Amino acid sequence: MKSFRRVALGLTPPVAIVLLWWYVTYTGKVPPMILPSLPAVGNAFKNNVLSGQLLADLGISLTRVVKGYLVAASLGVVVGTLIGVSRRFDELLSPTLHAIRSIPMMAWLPLIILWCGIGEESKIVIIVISAFFPVMINTIGGITDTPQQYLEVARLGKMGAFRTFWKVYLPSAVPQIFVGLRLGLSISWIALVASELLAANSGIGFRISDSRIKIRPEGIFMGIIVIGIIGVILDKGLTTIAKRATRWNSGGKE
Amino acid sequence: MSEKRLRIEGLSKSFTVGKKVIDALDNINLEIERGEFVTIVGKSGCGKSTLLKIISGLLPYESGKVAYDGHEIREPGPDRGMVFQEHRLLPWLKIRDNIGFNLFSLPKREREELVGSHMKKVGIDGFADAYPNQLSGGMAQRAAIARGLAGNPEILLLDEPFGALDALTRIQMQKEVLRIWQSEGTTMILVTHDIDEAIFLGQRIIVMSERPGKVLDIINAKNLAYKNRADADFARVKKKVYKYFFEEEMPDLEYTL
Ligand SMILES: Nc1ncnc2c1ncn2[C@@H]1O[C@H](COP(=O)(O)OP(=O)(O)OP(=O)(O)O)[C@@H](O)[C@H]1O
Ligand SMILES: [Mg+2]
Repeated sequence: MKSFRRVALGLTPPVAIVLLWWYVTYTGKVPPMILPSLPAVGNAFKNNVLSGQLLADLGISLTRVVKGYLVAASLGVVVGTLIGVSRRFDELLSPTLHAIRSIPMMAWLPLIILWCGIGEESKIVIIVISAFFPVMINTIGGITDTPQQYLEVARLGKMGAFRTFWKVYLPSAVPQIFVGLRLGLSISWIALVASELLAANSGIGFRISDSRIKIRPEGIFMGIIVIGIIGVILDKGLTTIAKRATRWNSGGKE
Repeated sequence: MSEKRLRIEGLSKSFTVGKKVIDALDNINLEIERGEFVTIVGKSGCGKSTLLKIISGLLPYESGKVAYDGHEIREPGPDRGMVFQEHRLLPWLKIRDNIGFNLFSLPKREREELVGSHMKKVGIDGFADAYPNQLSGGMAQRAAIARGLAGNPEILLLDEPFGALDALTRIQMQKEVLRIWQSEGTTMILVTHDIDEAIFLGQRIIVMSERPGKVLDIINAKNLAYKNRADADFARVKKKVYKYFFEEEMPDLEYTL
């Protein structure tokens, strides 16, 4: 019952927006070139689904996200762990990484296009650069925040470094690693769509800029809505995995 | 029969915090026999935890000597187990895995047997698959004691193990620790700031001064015929300990009873 109320509450703003949208377009207060009507967007959606265009676009974009994100996430967790457990790695890598981190994505773009063109590699590079840092930073935080008390318990049993990592550091860091993974995933999706809008010839982001060139505002709106929904689905999926992995952390009482 | 004993000679310990040096322990001399139950009382901050951590091998020391069975203690070892003030159960491990946490070198079967028997010993069998946050404070502390005992140490160090428990659970846990001590014969060294607890549990009660911690007195309570809190002997010892900490006289329990 409680979750029903929460869902209902969460759905209120989108429903309100849709109603308002419907009202201003139906009454003709806003011209369709600025804000297309709901049925027009619905039609665009229907046509794109039926023609297979939408699925093809999404397939391309999601493949890019999955590839880039997997690279970024594994790099982020590994490098973050190394920096978290070893002072030497921290001193070696942290200054450089923090300098790189302060360069905005948009500043990389010309260079990436120059080196990788506007095809698949450039998209994956963009995702990796964007998503790597939040994963790495949160992994470092999770590892270094491992309570000293638990490490003392491991020391009492003369637990080796490797086992201590698996049994203490890593599980202790998992909740925060997932914070980074979640952040990284949404940033991946955002960065991908942005790069597809600016420089691509396929994908859901490209479809939006294509609609703009062809003066089809309903295509733009359809694209935006689909992107938002996919973003939410990706995040929900990862949150579900995170909950499973850290069941001990969530009150535990079922 | 056995001559094993813990011997502490001239142990001092100080910490450096920034540029300040804090003396925590000052020239501690102690000998604890195998199988004894010794309690240590002292005010907060007098170095009780520091002393236990040195005995456990978690904390290094620079001056003095700490040896068990003739071997100098420089690191943790399976002959010593420890129970902390907070239960320190790892929240991501089930109770059974927490209790068996440091038995990783044993084959699975042996480990499971040890875990099972120690859960029974402290009365938490049935909670093997629970996570720590599903346990009450008393249950969690029992699990922590089971973990301390699981490797069958010769010495169990208990650092205010019941400090976080309510008064009723506390008394119950004291009785159970006594029972375990009687049946296992483990040397018990228990730190507390509860004078009653120290007398109830200890065969000898070590009274520590304020920081830097020194041994003020070692009170022999072995001959208290039975540990009865309402007993006159109990009150007499209590009065004696009390005087180390407070100037004023303790109200005369003996005659008000
Ligand atoms: N790692 C440390 N670094 C610096 N100072 C420390 C450290 N550990 C303990 N101390 C200091 O040493 C003194 C003794 O600490 P200890 O924890 O042994 O006291 P305690 O008797 O166990 O107190 P309590 O009853 O409150 O637990 C305190 O003044 C404390 O601040
Ligand atoms: Mg203490």
